[in-house]
Amino acid sequence: MRGLRGRLRILAGITILIAITVAALNPQAAWNAIQLPLFALFSTTRMVLAYMLSLVFAIAYGHTAATNKRAAVILLPILDVLQSIPILGFFPAALFFFVATFPGSPIGIEFAVVFLIFTSMAWNMAFGVYESLTTIPVDLEAAAASFGLRGWLRFRLLAFPAVIPKLVYNSILSWSNGWFFLVASEVFTAFGQNFRRPGLGAFIADAGLSGDNAGIALGIGVLAAVVLALDTFVWRPLGVWSERFRMETTGHEVPRVPSPYERFRWLPRFPRLRRTFLTAVQPVVTKYHRASVRLDRTYSAHRKVIRDIRYLDLAMFVVVLLLVVVAGVVGLARLFLSPLPPAAVELPRAAASSFIRLALAYAIALAWTIPLAAWIGRNPRGSRYLTPVLEVAASLPATALLPIIVGFALFATASLGPAAELSAVLIALFSMQWYLLFNLIAGVRAIPEDLNEAARSFGLRGRAYWRRVLLPAMVPSLLTGSITAWGAGWNALIVSEYIPFLSPPPHVSGLGYLLDISTFSKPPSNAMILLTILMMIVIVLAMNKLLWRPLYKRAAVKYRVEV
Amino acid sequence: MELPLLEVKEVQKSYFENGKEFKVLDLIRFELAERDFVCVVGPSGCGKSTLLRIIVGLEPPTSGQVLFGGSPIRADNPQVAMVFQSFALFPWLTVTQNVELGLEAQGIPPEARRPRAHKFIDAVGLTGFENAFPRELSGGMKQRVGLARALAIEPLLLCMDEPFSSLDPLTAQNLRDEILQLWANPDLPPKAVLMVTHSIEEAVYLADRVMVLSSRPGRMVAELEIDLPRPRNRKEPEFYGWVDEIYSLIV
Repeated sequence: MRGLRGRLRILAGITILIAITVAALNPQAAWNAIQLPLFALFSTTRMVLAYMLSLVFAIAYGHTAATNKRAAVILLPILDVLQSIPILGFFPAALFFFVATFPGSPIGIEFAVVFLIFTSMAWNMAFGVYESLTTIPVDLEAAAASFGLRGWLRFRLLAFPAVIPKLVYNSILSWSNGWFFLVASEVFTAFGQNFRRPGLGAFIADAGLSGDNAGIALGIGVLAAVVLALDTFVWRPLGVWSERFRMETTGHEVPRVPSPYERFRWLPRFPRLRRTFLTAVQPVVTKYHRASVRLDRTYSAHRKVIRDIRYLDLAMFVVVLLLVVVAGVVGLARLFLSPLPPAAVELPRAAASSFIRLALAYAIALAWTIPLAAWIGRNPRGSRYLTPVLEVAASLPATALLPIIVGFALFATASLGPAAELSAVLIALFSMQWYLLFNLIAGVRAIPEDLNEAARSFGLRGRAYWRRVLLPAMVPSLLTGSITAWGAGWNALIVSEYIPFLSPPPHVSGLGYLLDISTFSKPPSNAMILLTILMMIVIVLAMNKLLWRPLYKRAAVKYRVEV
Repeated sequence: MELPLLEVKEVQKSYFENGKEFKVLDLIRFELAERDFVCVVGPSGCGKSTLLRIIVGLEPPTSGQVLFGGSPIRADNPQVAMVFQSFALFPWLTVTQNVELGLEAQGIPPEARRPRAHKFIDAVGLTGFENAFPRELSGGMKQRVGLARALAIEPLLLCMDEPFSSLDPLTAQNLRDEILQLWANPDLPPKAVLMVTHSIEEAVYLADRVMVLSSRPGRMVAELEIDLPRPRNRKEPEFYGWVDEIYSLIV
């Protein structure tokens, strides 16, 4: 790791040199660059706020769904739908709502941005909480019950620790999802109006708009640095710490499946800094312990009151839910009772072309990720050098790369129509490919060494090895990756099929385009927005229910590697 | 007359699937008095673990009832403790914290529960491992923690569900002997032990009384007093006589 630290120092030196040169050559750019740390702070603050909201939501929602069977009947399908809809489509509605609530103040837009990021983070974390709570080993539950752990004590000693590993892992995923939407939402055109809040995403978009290549590079560089710094100082330590909360199912020695947190193994660990930090937070830890003891006592003293509060809480949630459902039904009824807007004729064709675009991006992604994952998964030495590069590349949200991709497409095709088509596919590709790659690598790494050795001892090599060992072992993780990748793909269409800040705006026909022009027109066509989003939801849900789920079920039986 | 410690009265358990009834346990009845060491033996799938879960109150019986000290059993009864086949240790708690679990649930303050936990950690021979996490321990040591955790609440009745089945034979035998030593010490809890196992030899080696269950649905086939003197020797013909008798009852 020392070598890596040395390299990081060299990198920092080079960055400073470049910065000085740029400042000398172009004072305006230098002024912009000086503001960058502030922008980074703004953007990160939005992310942190949204994450904290998501955390509270995920624990409350997941815990209720796991412990209250009656509530679960409603809560789980809702979560399922929320998780599969392209949320970017709802941003205009949220924006409209929040801006109308705080007229003439940027707070409305800030709320909308944080809300959008929240919607990209919360669902999979809630699912993580639900899954870990429902998979607590029966004996551990029984031990907790027979030793009299109840209420708050049960939550503190059993439920909360049990959710930590999955919660941290899903948080890492959610956090990178969040960047995608943060960048997309800091500059947004809707209702014929431009909304923007200062931040890294806005900086990159502005640089792209004015064709300032150095600015684009600088913005993306700073974004990558922020993402990596957070990985180093927050997620990696959290991931290592969360390992402690992993379940051991039996007393038998189980072959260790490589943990997803080993993802960040190559990041420097900064032992001295960490020690200082740990000493600094020690008083907080002690205070937490004392507080939790006091909470134990308070809880047992006020058990009845707390139960009543929980029922009240649940009742309120049900009321809000009913309101939302009623509003939705009324909206839908109104939509289908009134004559459809003329533009609705284009929906089927738009859906088809969007689908083909995603399928193309998916095929390209598969073509390079499968061989690479097979290689990386089996070559620890090669992966040591390649993984950091890939992870830095993957840490950049596709929305931030938009100016570069569009610029490249314009350069490569030299005319607007094909350029728009190329950039739309490329953005979809960049949103989809990393989910596939990292899932596939995990799949290959999870092949037990016994199986590999058995294959080797029977002389299985080349194509036979691929057909009998590698590909079957990849199937489950390929399916998991595909579901996430397609979800990300639909969101990418919304930003990629119509790029409003260039003039003339490049566009291709598709659902994303239809949605965008209905949103950007003044006044916005509400009926068309709703119809397009509905169309997307139907396609996504249909693919999940009719394609991915059945495939996954079959794969789970046939290709699961028993450990 | 003194009340028996535990009364199992006509316990039946059925599961229902698609309206069809699957009977697991049929009319089980027995009593447990103080100073009883009882083993329930039966082939796998005879519902003996279900019986134990019903006895400690983790599951309700379909009919019949379980009385402890004359009143219906509750899962969180602090006078009944449980040891699990899978150890069921909390992986994120240290040995001491695991052992303190039941005491913490009873609201005993940290200063008071620490010495009690350490007393039982010593008793099972884990001195020096107080701050270790379960994943750092071997299987045998984990089960010692499970045992200490159960003893720490100073229960009247100790219930064990196949406690040695996930251990290798040598470790299991050592632990059996240690349990007998603890059992022989009148200063230490519990007053009675109820253990479920599929190993006939184990039952004959440990128990004063063996209850034999038949399979599907589990019925009481026999109740045998093992009057062999302790320490028992597995190689003696009397020992094998008992094993053979129980074996013929099951098959």
